Amino acid sequence: MSALRTFKVLELSESVAGEYCGKLLADFGAQVIKIEKPGVGSPTRRMGPFARLTPSPLMGEDASFDSRLNLERSGLFAYLNTNKHSATLDLSTAAGVATLAKLVDAVDVVIDDHPSGWLKSVGLDPATIETHRPSLVLCSITAFGQDPPPDRIHAEDLTVFHTSGWGYHTPSASNEKLPPLKGAGRFMVSYEAALDASLCVTAALYERMHSKLGRFIDISKQAVMASRVDYVLGQMVAGDMDVTTRRTAFDLGGPAGIFRCLDGYAYIWMSAPAHWEGLRKLLGNPEWMNAFPERWMELECTPERVAQCRHHLAEWLKTQEKEQASAAAQKLGVTLVAVNNASDLQSSPQFQHRQFFARVNHQVQGPAHYPTVPYKLSATPAKIESSAPLLGQHTDTSLSALQGQQP
Amino acid sequence: MTQRLRGGPLQGVRVVELTKVWAGPYVGKLLAFLGAEVIRIESMESLDVTRTYGVKDINNAPGFQAVNPQKLSVQIDMKTPAGIELILDLLRHSDIVVENLRPGAIDRLGLGYATVKATKPDIVFVSMGMHGNDGPLAYQTGYAPCFAALGGLSSLVGYEGEPPAGMNVRYADSTFGTAAAFAAVAALTHRRQTGVGQFIDVSAVETMSSMVGDALMDFALNKVVQDCDGNRHAEMAPHGAYRCLNDEWIAVAVSSDSAWEAFAGALNAPELADDARFRTFADRQVNEAELERMIARRTLQRDAAELAAALQHSGVAAAKSFSSVDLVADQHLWGRGFFREVTDRRGQARTVVGPSWNMSRAAAIVDAAPRLGEQNAYVFGDILGLSTEEQQRLSATGVAR
Repeated sequence: MSALRTFKVLELSESVAGEYCGKLLADFGAQVIKIEKPGVGSPTRRMGPFARLTPSPLMGEDASFDSRLNLERSGLFAYLNTNKHSATLDLSTAAGVATLAKLVDAVDVVIDDHPSGWLKSVGLDPATIETHRPSLVLCSITAFGQDPPPDRIHAEDLTVFHTSGWGYHTPSASNEKLPPLKGAGRFMVSYEAALDASLCVTAALYERMHSKLGRFIDISKQAVMASRVDYVLGQMVAGDMDVTTRRTAFDLGGPAGIFRCLDGYAYIWMSAPAHWEGLRKLLGNPEWMNAFPERWMELECTPERVAQCRHHLAEWLKTQEKEQASAAAQKLGVTLVAVNNASDLQSSPQFQHRQFFARVNHQVQGPAHYPTVPYKLSATPAKIESSAPLLGQHTDTSLSALQGQQP
Repeated sequence: MTQRLRGGPLQGVRVVELTKVWAGPYVGKLLAFLGAEVIRIESMESLDVTRTYGVKDINNAPGFQAVNPQKLSVQIDMKTPAGIELILDLLRHSDIVVENLRPGAIDRLGLGYATVKATKPDIVFVSMGMHGNDGPLAYQTGYAPCFAALGGLSSLVGYEGEPPAGMNVRYADSTFGTAAAFAAVAALTHRRQTGVGQFIDVSAVETMSSMVGDALMDFALNKVVQDCDGNRHAEMAPHGAYRCLNDEWIAVAVSSDSAWEAFAGALNAPELADDARFRTFADRQVNEAELERMIARRTLQRDAAELAAALQHSGVAAAKSFSSVDLVADQHLWGRGFFREVTDRRGQARTVVGPSWNMSRAAAIVDAAPRLGEQNAYVFGDILGLSTEEQQRLSATGVAR
């Protein structure tokens, strides 16, 4: 039983940000009921990666079976909805909205990630929620907060990423001829926003145990991403750092970067004299290093020296294997690490030791090793107790539980 | 001086930080923004580099000020037994302690979890490390880009067919800090229900892995290793950044066939909408390289902000790619109170980056980062109840200053 086991959460979310927030709470034991559209379910059920299924005699014979099965194949949905219950409810009808109101009566928290304005349309107007439901914690995750400017109504993670500074400034040491990059994968912005939402919801629940009062929490994805670069942006907005249109404005410079190895890639960080001296030992005091002045990275870091240093690093690393090079480097104080991919992580002794991947047996997709969470709590660890629900799997139990709650 | 009550959900919670640089201090910042009282333990003997980086005045260091608003500072020399005793005494009066020192350093100092727990049984003890607290690689150290490389995130950022480029070098510390802050508050909630504290071990590398969890699922289910794919997206096309006038860029994400038609219309490029190679999402995905070239040619003479507004008007997700200038000048972020003014002890105002959230009954965020040891008197006098003479003795012996 984990840290949030006594709390009930209603999840109205239909995209990654709100679903990941619900998952983070559910993996700590919160009882999360996910509301889905009858027949179609959450849009994330139609997004990949999809599991390949073991053939069943009904496949291809029964169209209705096939379409239901297709809604249970998404690995994305399976990942984002562990430990949750699924209840279908049609919120486009008055009866659906009335049932929703009863469900809201029975929970501590509501999480939503529809565009601003939607909550009001289902009877949960943020502007009046504290008067009507003083004990409810209502959290809304949107691209730009509750009052988006008229030219920011339509948003995806990519466009939010580009209004946060991360887009324009990624990658570091960018090639001016090439476009800035989107970041990693499809949903970085959503996962980041979910972290802030989970933090705020949990803090609100902490206080509510004493005050009995809920709150409205308005998470802006743009603000989440911009706040992640506070170390730089805080200096810029205070007038302590140059504010320019250079794509390298967030960069640190120097020879650090990703280099090709025999078996993939490695990343090397270099900023201090100790790194340079460690590298000298690692490489056996090569001739080329003698041409560099002492403390050059701090005091005389010219583009020519950076290019030269990177050239030699590249020449050396392409003869190395990433894990071996990293182990040798770390012993000498050189911060060289492997650039891992998904396969490396599943076989990593470190990840295995910490059991970062957990075996989950999905009712349709079968067993797989899911990524879990990055924190280990000694008394209340996060845990995947049940796989993601089938569409509407808990509609009857969730709604019949309401019978006892009638006034 | 008494405790400053700033409201917010964590008012009344006391957090002690033994942290350095960015990720650890970011935990304290988030908790302070939620109303907790956050006390940094600092000393001249082991000064945070962000207090000295690029400046002479340790009380006026821009990087430190950016990440430490709304906190208190107490000066205690951690390298003396008397200093460690003082810290343990302070922890007895605290709820959460956060540390991100080098692997094993907290134990060597005599402030490991077992010791602290003996003094304060229900403490929530947050320990942050690149690889977490244990495991065969836990001895290794690194900086933010190392977390992203090790965690599987960097390998997904890059141009198609090229070596990974990785996220901007600044990425990772603050995300790591947020994961730690969430876990800490979950533990606090458990403690309020049961009286039981606990040890929390947070891994920076695993935090990065959790930012690409769906890509890891592709391997878990199908043994597919995803690769860098430029700006592509499995469910949207076009999806990318295109050059406009004056080397500005526009980001566009087209999520449906009707959005595609609207996009072509707003771009004044009906020939794109009519082009059979691009009619459906599947068509656009097959011909994506050509699609990108054709769009890039048509955005080149457009103003990025104007084009974004026109696309928005047509219902397409688009935005100018914000440079630092755009970001600092963004009226929406100012209007939301994301950039806000705080004041230091001497009445000097300073603009800081506020929280990502707005909430009802929020904490007042009004204080600038502390000078070194600014709250010595409050911590030693009000919290620990030391007499003026005792405080003077600590100062004279160098344990505190």
